[in-house]
Parts: sequence; structure tokens; C-alpha cells
Amino acid sequence: MEAKYDFARKYRDQILQCSRCGFCQAVCPVFGSTLRPSYNARGKMLLLREVMDGTIELNDELIETLFQCTTCASCFENCPSGVNVPEIIKQVKKDMVHIGSCHPAFKGMNEVLQTHTNIYAENEPKDFGRETNKKAEYVYFVGCVGCYREDESTLATLDLLDRFKVDYTLFDEVCCSGVLEDVGYQINEDLAHKNIDRILATEAKTVITGCPYCFRTFNNKPQYAELREKGVKVIHMSQLVKDFELDVKTDKRVTYHDPCDLGRHCGIYEEPRDTIRKIASDFVEMSHHHVDSLCCGAGGGVRGAFAKNSIAMARRRLREAEEVGAEVVLTECNSCVHNFSNAKLRRHKLRIYNTTEFINELMKEAE
Amino acid sequence: MEIEGFNMPDDLYYEKNHFWARVDGDLVVMGMNDYAQNLAGEIVYIGLPPEGEKLTQGKNFTKIESGKWLGKVFAVVSGELVEVNEELEENAALINEDPYGKGWMFKIRPDNMEELKNLMKDPDEITGWLKAEIAEHGTPS
Repeated sequence: MEAKYDFARKYRDQILQCSRCGFCQAVCPVFGSTLRPSYNARGKMLLLREVMDGTIELNDELIETLFQCTTCASCFENCPSGVNVPEIIKQVKKDMVHIGSCHPAFKGMNEVLQTHTNIYAENEPKDFGRETNKKAEYVYFVGCVGCYREDESTLATLDLLDRFKVDYTLFDEVCCSGVLEDVGYQINEDLAHKNIDRILATEAKTVITGCPYCFRTFNNKPQYAELREKGVKVIHMSQLVKDFELDVKTDKRVTYHDPCDLGRHCGIYEEPRDTIRKIASDFVEMSHHHVDSLCCGAGGGVRGAFAKNSIAMARRRLREAEEVGAEVVLTECNSCVHNFSNAKLRRHKLRIYNTTEFINELMKEAE
Repeated sequence: MEIEGFNMPDDLYYEKNHFWARVDGDLVVMGMNDYAQNLAGEIVYIGLPPEGEKLTQGKNFTKIESGKWLGKVFAVVSGELVEVNEELEENAALINEDPYGKGWMFKIRPDNMEELKNLMKDPDEITGWLKAEIAEHGTPS
């Protein structure tokens, strides 16, 4: 019998491979903060079996369960059966959108990106007081969160680039739209073309991204293949900063949060740590680090659609920072910074920064 | 009073960025009005600055967020921030549930109570203003 949904056509065997061992439950951030079994990978696979068997239908009742996934990939990383849950869930969401069952926040996000340059529907482009669209060796891509939610972090990053006399330009960037792939839609081709054309116009050979998700999008998505074909390299800021000569130090206890999009998804773990070890003599790891890093809860559109749960996940991660006595939590993702900042309680004595912002602050103090 | 379905208590002052003010002894309490909390959606975060911070009437001093929306919080009077509603730290949705009661946000010791005259108190003025806001920004669907 022909499978009714694309997820079943593509992934039936994998879904049936799930042995219901529950290893994924131990590492799922959504389950960890909600304790709802249906929200984690095992629960989702059980539901999808029922859908494939025709016992239940994909419909609005399953929106909360199936759309609530930060795409952190901890489940896949820990699955002894090799079930690629993130890819399966991505397809399930597309199937649900196809039948008209979508979380309104994600439907709204897709609609916003038809008419705006960013996911927040902000009309005014952010002015960081720098020249834009000039010819330069590097072009810096800020990303939506860096523009409209963590602009201070972005300003600090640009200050740092200026201090090190990096020849860069900003440009009239638009949302990379990569997040749409994770919430049931597709990358917005019009936005992708705008970014590509405007990057190429700067004649820059390297794009530096402040956002790991944009980094993944530019490097992996076929809509951005033209950049790669034209020899434009895309790097994350952490890969540039690791080569900076830093002569500032902190004696604060510092820990590092591996963003899922930089760590588990891209394998970039050591560059950020190399930088931190140059400036912090008291660097400690949280109990979950590197490939086992605990997700901050912001990814996969969860921060927009399930904000309370998202912040609960971030608070859970901050408890790990408290447990190691960290005074400073550094990370390399503005989405993580934003969610941690929202989750931080007054009693938390720690401060949260993007690494470049922290370095810039140390340099300002040293002046 | 009720204006197009939104509760706007008569005994409060209202500020054009959608915050209310109430005199409580020698302090001024502030919060967000019913229309604004409706439009914002479920509030998930409000920044709680440290007590002692100096505020200026009409200037934003912290931020407030729902899922995707980011807003600014504007001081209703100039003065010293003396108390924050710590309940909002883990339950910012109180602002939605009870915007004039449990969802109060900040208490300010004003430099000059006369500044309250810069806020709206007259029911006709408040009604006209809010109706214009609703016409411009709509209501949640």
C-alpha cells in the first residue's frame, strides 16, 4: 500500500528501527524540562508508527508534540539504532504543513519572510554605524538575532573586528531563512538570491557569520551553492578569532556552552575553547559539554512557538553553569545568549556573553 | 471603564506607551495595560533592573518579550526604582493574567509627584486615545 505521507515513504524503515530504548529521552532537552514522553524522540517515533499504521492521523492535535523540537540532534547522537530523528521530524513537519496543520507561529514566520527582511517583521534595518556594501576582504553577516535581539553583542563583535583591523564590510543583509527548513517550510529563494547577489557585489572572498545557524545554512543548503561555486568561503566568527593575538585576561571562572548548531551539527568545539583558554586561566567545563552539550532550548523555532518551555530549557542549562561555580558563561551563538539572558534569574551571579563581546569588554576595561 | 472590550480601571493614570500608574503612599506603581498585554501575547520575559536604578519619565529602562515580540518598558515617572515584582521572574505571564493586580511590574519613588500630570487621567482623553490605538494597531485575532 502506498504510504500516505512523505515521511513514511522516506523513513519508514528508520522509524521501525526505533527499539524504544529511551536513550534519547535521557538527553532530550524538551523532555528534560517538560517530562512529557511524547515530546521526545521515542515518543515521536511511537506516534509516527501509529500514523503509518493508520491508527491515528496527522492533524492539529499533534502540532504541539511534533513541532516542539529544538533540532539539537542529541537524540540522533545517542541512538544505538541510528534513527535520524531530526531528519524524520523535519519531513513530518513539512507533511503537516502540506495538509494545513502547522503551528501558527511558524506559519506566521513563513508569511513574515515573504514581506520582510527578518523573522521579527522589523521594518527598519539595524544601523551599526559602519559602512555597508563596500568592497572588502571579508563580509560580516549578522543574522536576525544579532540584529534585532542581541545588537549589543553584535556591536561588540564589530568593535573587536575594528580593533584587529579586519578589512570587512556589512551589507544589506536579509534573513538567511534557513530556519524555515526546520519548521515545515523551505528556504526563501528570493531572500537567498538577495544575500548571494549582495555578498558577491562586495567582492569579499570570505563571509564571517556571527550565527552558527546562518553558518550551517550558507555552507550546506543548495540554495546558497552559488557562493561556494564562486569560491566564497563561509566561516564562523570563532574560526577567525582563534587566530587573534589576545593580551587580555580574566581571573573569573569561565565556562563555555557549545551551541548545538556549531558543536553537534558542525563539529566546531575546540576553536572557541582555544580562544577562551588564552584569556581565562580558570576555565571549567559544565557536566555536559562538547558533543554532549545540553541544548539552550532556542533552536528549531521553539523560542518563538513554545517560549515558556524554551526558557525552561535554558534555565536547566544555567543550573549546570551554577553547579561548576561559573561566573561567566561564554557561547558563540546569539540565540543561545538571548535565551540564557531571558532565563537568568536575579539570584544567578553569573554573566552571559558571546565570546567576542566578553573579549571586547576585557579590552575596554584594560584601556 | 471598559473601552472596546479592554479593561481600563478609572482610578489609574495611563501613559502613551501603554503603561499604567497608580499612587501607593509615596510610591508610584506601574504595569502594562490590558490592551497592550492582549496584543503582546503571552509574556515570557521582563527585564528586572536592580533596585536603586534612576529612571526618567518617558525613557525606556528595560525590555519585555513574548514569543517573537520585543517591547520596551517606559518609566511612568522619574525617580528611583525601589521595588520590582519578583513573581514575574519565573511567571511573567502574570502580566497577562492580572495586569492591574498580581502583574504589577515596578514601584518607583518619584522625584516629583507633579509629573503624574503628564499622564492621562481624564476618561474622555483615555477613551479617544485607546480607540485610536486600536484603530492603528488592531486587536489580537
